[in-house]
Amino acid sequence: MAASGRPAEPIPRFDRRFFASDRIASRIGDGELGGKASGLVRARTALAVLRPVPDIEVGIPRMAVIATDVHARFVERNGLAELAASDAPDDAKAHAFLAADLPVEILGDLHALVDEVRSPLAVRSSSLLEDALHHPLAGVYATKMTPNEAHEPGERFARLVEAVKLVYASTCFRSPRRYLRAIGADPASERMAVIVQEVVGRRFADRYYPHVSGVARSWNFYPGSGSAPEDGVVSLALGLGKTIVDGGVAWTYSPLRPAAPPPFASNAARAKNTQTRFWAVNMGPVPHDPIRETEHLIQAELPVADLDGSLHFVASTWDPRSDRLQPGVGAVGSRLLDFAPLLVHQELRLNQVIRELLRVCEDDWGEAVEIELAAVLDHRPAPHARVGLLQVRPMAAASEHVHLDDADLAHPDALLASRSSMGNGVEEGIADVVYCVPDRFDARATRDIAAEVEQIDAELEAARRPYLLIGFGRWGSSDPWLGIPVRWDQIAGARVVVEAMLPHMNVEPSQGAHFFHNVASLGVKYLTVPHDAHPGIDWDWLAGCTEQRSTPHLRHVRLDDPLRVTVDGRTGRAVALHG
Amino acid sequence: MNSGRPKPYNSFETAQEQFDAVATRLGLDTGTRELLRSPLREYSFAIPVRMDDGSVRVFRGFRVQHNDARGPCKGGIRFHPLETLDTVRALAMWMTWKCAVVDIPLGGGKGGIICDPHNLSLAEQERLCRGFVRQVVRNVGPTLDVPAPDVMTSGQHMLWMLDEFEAIRGEHLPGFITGKPVGLGGSLGRTEATGYGVVFTIRETLRELGLRAEDTRASVQGFGNVAQYAIELLMQLGGTVTCVSCWDQKDQVAYSYRRRSGVDLAELRSITDRFGGIDSKRARELGYEVLDGDAWLEQEVEILIPAALENQIHIDNVDRIAPTVRLIAEGANGPTGPRADAVIRERGIFMIPDLLANSGGVTCSYFEQVQSNMNYYWSRDEVLGKLDLKMTSAFRAVAELAQRENLYMRDAAYVIAVTRVAQASRDRGWV
Repeated sequence: MAASGRPAEPIPRFDRRFFASDRIASRIGDGELGGKASGLVRARTALAVLRPVPDIEVGIPRMAVIATDVHARFVERNGLAELAASDAPDDAKAHAFLAADLPVEILGDLHALVDEVRSPLAVRSSSLLEDALHHPLAGVYATKMTPNEAHEPGERFARLVEAVKLVYASTCFRSPRRYLRAIGADPASERMAVIVQEVVGRRFADRYYPHVSGVARSWNFYPGSGSAPEDGVVSLALGLGKTIVDGGVAWTYSPLRPAAPPPFASNAARAKNTQTRFWAVNMGPVPHDPIRETEHLIQAELPVADLDGSLHFVASTWDPRSDRLQPGVGAVGSRLLDFAPLLVHQELRLNQVIRELLRVCEDDWGEAVEIELAAVLDHRPAPHARVGLLQVRPMAAASEHVHLDDADLAHPDALLASRSSMGNGVEEGIADVVYCVPDRFDARATRDIAAEVEQIDAELEAARRPYLLIGFGRWGSSDPWLGIPVRWDQIAGARVVVEAMLPHMNVEPSQGAHFFHNVASLGVKYLTVPHDAHPGIDWDWLAGCTEQRSTPHLRHVRLDDPLRVTVDGRTGRAVALHG
Repeated sequence: MNSGRPKPYNSFETAQEQFDAVATRLGLDTGTRELLRSPLREYSFAIPVRMDDGSVRVFRGFRVQHNDARGPCKGGIRFHPLETLDTVRALAMWMTWKCAVVDIPLGGGKGGIICDPHNLSLAEQERLCRGFVRQVVRNVGPTLDVPAPDVMTSGQHMLWMLDEFEAIRGEHLPGFITGKPVGLGGSLGRTEATGYGVVFTIRETLRELGLRAEDTRASVQGFGNVAQYAIELLMQLGGTVTCVSCWDQKDQVAYSYRRRSGVDLAELRSITDRFGGIDSKRARELGYEVLDGDAWLEQEVEILIPAALENQIHIDNVDRIAPTVRLIAEGANGPTGPRADAVIRERGIFMIPDLLANSGGVTCSYFEQVQSNMNYYWSRDEVLGKLDLKMTSAFRAVAELAQRENLYMRDAAYVIAVTRVAQASRDRGWV
């Protein structure tokens, strides 16, 4: 059952004419559905009370859920349990899983599924532990898209089977195993359901993608000025939602003030800080590489989308000579993804739909939620949108009552202070600090820094020593120029993570969905310190601490007295005091 | 003059009786009836074989091509000391219906050699196989007639036959024969196909009957390839198999092995010889009740799977079927005699007839032939996924007709099969 509130409704067994029917969900196998699938099944009833918005249809893309018992049988019959529990490399595990046979009793259903539908399918994990532990595991396991458009059904079937096996294999990859251990769960107890779902989108030449994908949260961990956490926050992107969940550049705004100007000083800055590349399902031929999650994905540049004609509702046009920014794509100039036709001019009331979705889901779950959605938008013959709800999950919202004011931030013993922090409460007992040494930082070396952090993290985690981590730029960024591109498991031992800024690297605070969902749900404090903040970070004090280890870019120091880190979740203020 | 002895069972007569009933139901014209109630072509020949001791023995071989209106003939080659031309004719006819009911583009054929391979060395068996091919080489081939393993023949026999055929023809033609070992033109999933296919139809039947696999028990006659894989998948679906029976080579008698809590397939396999004979002594030591060969039929179960030989359920033993039995899935060819069939029908037991239930084998053979002709081979998942789809579609077509027309399942299957073959014959202008 779902972790909070009422359980998800049961769904019927898969019918081989499923995709020709009007059913939203069906089940292959007799086990459980896992967190993600349960969330979507539950959302069906929440959607029933959604207030309609003109010209916009809202629904859940049809999905078949391969229940958890199939995963268990797959592992058991192929004798994969030992390999799964081993420290073998991920690739070796993936190859072994791909070489194994799926339980024969589901093969006919899977074949029928690809016989019925010839449009891209998303094969996603739906973990049982996610449900049971109330911990988000999205982004931890593999999600694979398959174009599913080959003429020969056998070819489509083969790609689907590979995708299912890769999702199964990802259950025992290194990253999720470390993650599960970090939250006190036994990786061997994980059981995986798999969602096979139609991808919301449209085909443009060899690319298939939605005009808009979005992640919306009813609680904002980074409320800007004039916003409250309960206002929520929305990130929109062109193309597949991978841009957002991987922490790439997306358009982030408050759903209460969708037309509010973004925090950019100029149109040039806006152009520089908006999305320029997007993800799509690659419908063209690709080299066969079934163990690569992005095998059938392609990242394209904005001009390609312009040629596709998919920017009508999502772009403005900037003429650098006149510095005019005109909503839409009617004028000649550089396209800039600010979603102004939707958010400012409301050609389609997408934001209203998002607010409604947040409202009904939050009401149903009884707590703050995060949703993922995708939309296909048509402007001819009349504006019309089809919105697909892809995921609903509860957020771990702030609860402990603490209060900090500016005077607290200016405390003489403050190692660092922040006015933009995530999380809530007090963290004590941290006596280790791992930080990027400002003089040694090089934005070209962020991948190396990630590897150095991982090494130190592993040692500290093994010694069960929580630590405070300070780095420059956006942690978990998929763009190595915007920050340090770590996966969550590489810093899983950190209890406090600090995102410091350098003068030339003042990117927007992070909103990478999966990474920060992990941060939030694990109760990790996440502090952002701009380069010109006063007070900011006391680098001199750190430099005087006892060094445990030094790497080309990092320093690990151990303190005589543990830090006390306090985060006021309501104001976003935070301070770390040394003894 | 009546000698007083019962007339021996003749499977060809049974096959013709079944056909006649369907032909009457369909109102087939005389020409079509005449065409379909007998084989199109029959080859009967002598196969001289040099034995290991230097002597020459002449074996009798048959190849019967019942009908190829829908595609090349397809059917196995049997080695059996009691082989008769009538048996081969009947089996060829059933192959025609079987291919038609699962809607694969093949006709029906069958072959046999009167011999007991237990008494032949491997070298003698090889020479026998090559001799068989030399006699029929002009009348078989990937586009004419495609043999396969059957009773007491194996992938090795098929490879010898293929090699002889290719040597004579001077080209590689792996689509000539099916049942080849994987890696030498065989298909993954072929070994499991017939047994799994039986269970695909059982699974669909349980849905029709509103039963859960977990709530069912099954008794199986036979412990060869078909039975073992049927048991395997049935148990994987949650069912319990309480009894299996098989021939005991040593005692020359059949036994049934029962464990009411459910047999352990891996355990039984570990004490089974390559012909599917269970070691009765070790079975007893493992706690199995060792009962009469016919005891499998009278078990208190929901599912009976006759997966051994023909005519095993007959008028003399049909009343021993327990009242708990809800369905019979014919894993073997022709295991139910016509009079017993009438009793089963009267009792309302759901019958999955042989030409539907055990068509997984020929369906997978068809897949193998397709792969061999393309020289491109599919994954096991692909093969078994396609098999499930084919068999489930066939089952639904038959079940829907049976329900719509209030027909017995066997009759519905025959109606579909005969209609398709008759139509193909008409379309070709034969009748």
